[in-house]
Amino acid sequence: MNIQDNYLKNSNNIFFSQNKEVQNHREKLIYNFENDSFDRKNNESLKNVNPKNFIDFKYKYLIPEETSVINNNHENSYSIVSVNGQCSSFKDDKIEISKILVEDYNDFTKNDTIDKNDHFVNLNSLFLNSGFKIVIKKNNNIKIKISNIITDDDLTTFQKNNYICEEGSSLNLIEEYENKNNSTSNILNVIKLEKNSHLNHFLIQDNSPNHSLIVTSHSSCKKNSTYNQKVYNFSEGYVRNFHYSELVETNSEVDLQGVFFLKDNNTSNNKTFVKHLAEDCKSNQVYKGILNDRAKATYFSNTHVDQVAQKTEGYQLSKGILLSDNATYFSKPELKIYADDVKCSHGSTIGPIDENAIFYLRSRGMSKIAATKILISSFINEELSSIDNEQMSEIIQKKLVRYLSKVK
Amino acid sequence: MNSETLNTLDSYSKNKYKYGFVTEIDEEKPKKGLNEDIIKFISSKKNEPDWMLEWRLKAFSKWKKMKEPKWANLNFPEIDYQDIYYYSAPKGFDKKPKDLSEVDPKLIETYNKLGIPLEEQKVLAGVAVDVVFDSVSVATTYKGELEKLGIIFCSIGEAIQKHPDLIKKYLGSVIPAGDHSFSALNSAVFTDGSFVYIPEGIKCPMELSTYFRINAENTGQFERTLIIADKGSYVSYLEGCTAPKRDDNQLHAANVELIALEDAEIKYSTVQNWYPGDEDGKGGIYNFVTKRGLCAGKNSKISWTQVETGSAITWKYPSCILKGDNSIGEFYSVAITNNFQQADTGTKMTHIGKNTKSKIISKGISLGKSQNTYRGEVSFLRKAEKARNYTQCDSLLVGNQCGAHTVPYIDSKNNTAVIEHEASTSKINEDQLYYCRQRGLSHEEAVSLIVNGFCKQVLQELPMEFAVEAQKLVSISLEGSVG
Repeated sequence: MNIQDNYLKNSNNIFFSQNKEVQNHREKLIYNFENDSFDRKNNESLKNVNPKNFIDFKYKYLIPEETSVINNNHENSYSIVSVNGQCSSFKDDKIEISKILVEDYNDFTKNDTIDKNDHFVNLNSLFLNSGFKIVIKKNNNIKIKISNIITDDDLTTFQKNNYICEEGSSLNLIEEYENKNNSTSNILNVIKLEKNSHLNHFLIQDNSPNHSLIVTSHSSCKKNSTYNQKVYNFSEGYVRNFHYSELVETNSEVDLQGVFFLKDNNTSNNKTFVKHLAEDCKSNQVYKGILNDRAKATYFSNTHVDQVAQKTEGYQLSKGILLSDNATYFSKPELKIYADDVKCSHGSTIGPIDENAIFYLRSRGMSKIAATKILISSFINEELSSIDNEQMSEIIQKKLVRYLSKVK
Repeated sequence: MNSETLNTLDSYSKNKYKYGFVTEIDEEKPKKGLNEDIIKFISSKKNEPDWMLEWRLKAFSKWKKMKEPKWANLNFPEIDYQDIYYYSAPKGFDKKPKDLSEVDPKLIETYNKLGIPLEEQKVLAGVAVDVVFDSVSVATTYKGELEKLGIIFCSIGEAIQKHPDLIKKYLGSVIPAGDHSFSALNSAVFTDGSFVYIPEGIKCPMELSTYFRINAENTGQFERTLIIADKGSYVSYLEGCTAPKRDDNQLHAANVELIALEDAEIKYSTVQNWYPGDEDGKGGIYNFVTKRGLCAGKNSKISWTQVETGSAITWKYPSCILKGDNSIGEFYSVAITNNFQQADTGTKMTHIGKNTKSKIISKGISLGKSQNTYRGEVSFLRKAEKARNYTQCDSLLVGNQCGAHTVPYIDSKNNTAVIEHEASTSKINEDQLYYCRQRGLSHEEAVSLIVNGFCKQVLQELPMEFAVEAQKLVSISLEGSVG
């Protein structure tokens, strides 16, 4: 079904479809989708992606019958279950969770990410059918765990979440994506960090082979704020992780890290983009991946340093291990620098497991498989050992063991 | 360098190109514009056989359907291809300066600074070449020596006449006419360039350079160079020169093809110092060059070394296709941009054969309001077992209005291949600067010394006498922008 039919037939459960302004915006998007000849060379969101797949899809969305639950387990700790991308409203003196309201159209339909040509973000604003808004109130320190659940097969959710961390707040956010059905989720998180706020964001992705997950995030950091993101991708289905970040005021920091474990015919596309717009900011982008069988991965990393952003420190690192003859890895670590007093670097390596290390372990009586497994674990150990949450650490260790058991 | 020299140079750099050549109106020159007639005109002027004309027309029909590649990080007004002369006959002798006394003294001064020998100065300044060469016995001796070894070194036009078999076999085999719009344009309208063939087992005893090619009077804006190194041979080729080159053509689209057969080695060095435009970014040459080498045989090696200091726009990616097993590709580059210059340069290493190795060292220096981009692609195809790449690209920023960018593309389809890539961007180290100043160097001299040190890894790859000139060139390029 083409994109216009999809939209017109289903506009009843797409947000803001009655709003004139939004309608105009969307008509333009539809026009672009239908007439764009899809320049795959110059558009990073299309690498390893067949544009046909997202132009001709079957739209299906069900508004969840059961409203999702919000539990206040302990003090300062909340757990949210989001069903088909929606959750119920909640409010106390520390946090405010609300559904998308009609008057919020401006916050939810425009593409606020850095890349205006990101086709998946545009698709998200076109078909937006779910999402929520979470505000962490001033000077509070809390933990949130969100489980994302999709109820039915063949659903296409287009979800946009807005997070606002008010001044001096601190949030520990764990998001879990574990779905076993054949659906597609396109999620856009827009995160605003006010002065002196901190956010530790963990994304654990573990979907079945037929579930496609597209996660995009855009964070903007004000003075003295920090945003740390860690992505653990164990999915057997397609996953796209595109994370954009803007450092808008001085002394802010962003750290975007990710690990992915791919096997079979799986594909994963990854991108991180940090834009330095103020002095004295720091950024770090680290992605590590292990690819087995016929797996394919891409990783684009970007550091953009504006002319005013002196004293910037920006680092990038990308590492990939190919375990099989048929796995492919593409990486493009990019630096764009317009200021002179900066320290920026990137490093990138792709290769097999170090044969000398294997030889060392085998000469001490280990089998080849055991040696390989040990070396894979040590390759990503840094990322895993930095998790300070014991329960989460255990979950991730289990997933790693499951992945390693398939390595031959 | 003492401060007096610096002052002279400074005043020179401000007056640069004041006395640019006036475009001559010559009866030989056809009308502006690009169409089939002009291609037929060029072909007949050069007495080309029919197959060559056909080849050109085919390239032209491809060009018509193509758009300029747009991925480069460059800003320039759209090129009007119909507003360009595609064939300019050699200038008449009466219009040329008779000897060096008629040449702009400032230009001569720079030549002296760079240490260019008198005879070469005459060639560079455009003093009637034939007259010069009569007295340059070196060049004629060299030519005789090359002939004895069976080395063919002539203009591409001559090669089309005399060695059609080699041309038919190799021209366009590395850069197909339809590769992209600039290669198609070049294939359709190229007028001159060099042709080199080194026979089996011959090691070329000297650095080949366009100076020694008697016919190379006007290298032209659409240059086409083809170098073939047969089994077990070796050649080192020098292109360009360190002296500032004045040229009236704004658009340059050269194609350079290298072919190394089994056990052969080609070393290609370039120093490009064309007119970069004035301090306000007006004028200057647009340089869109396609350079590609094919390591066709086993154990072959191609090495590119480039020093880019001129041109308003540099769009250049000397690349290697490593097809033969155990073949080696190397790329060493220094790109310096000043004022409003823009450079988007880098390389492409395509590993196809087993045990292929490549090494990339790129140094970018941006000053003034310039933009300097390294763009490189390293790809390992499925059969490139045990292939190896090492890439290092460093950028240096001087001043806060310029930009330095690094855009590497890394693609691996083989699990035994190893890629390492590192890049860093920084400004000149304050401690080093302080140390130099403390020992009595001026700020400008200190910067020049540090930049030269930063480029050393690449400059030392250049042939000896070139390297010395290139070092001085680096210092001159920094003039007037530091401090």
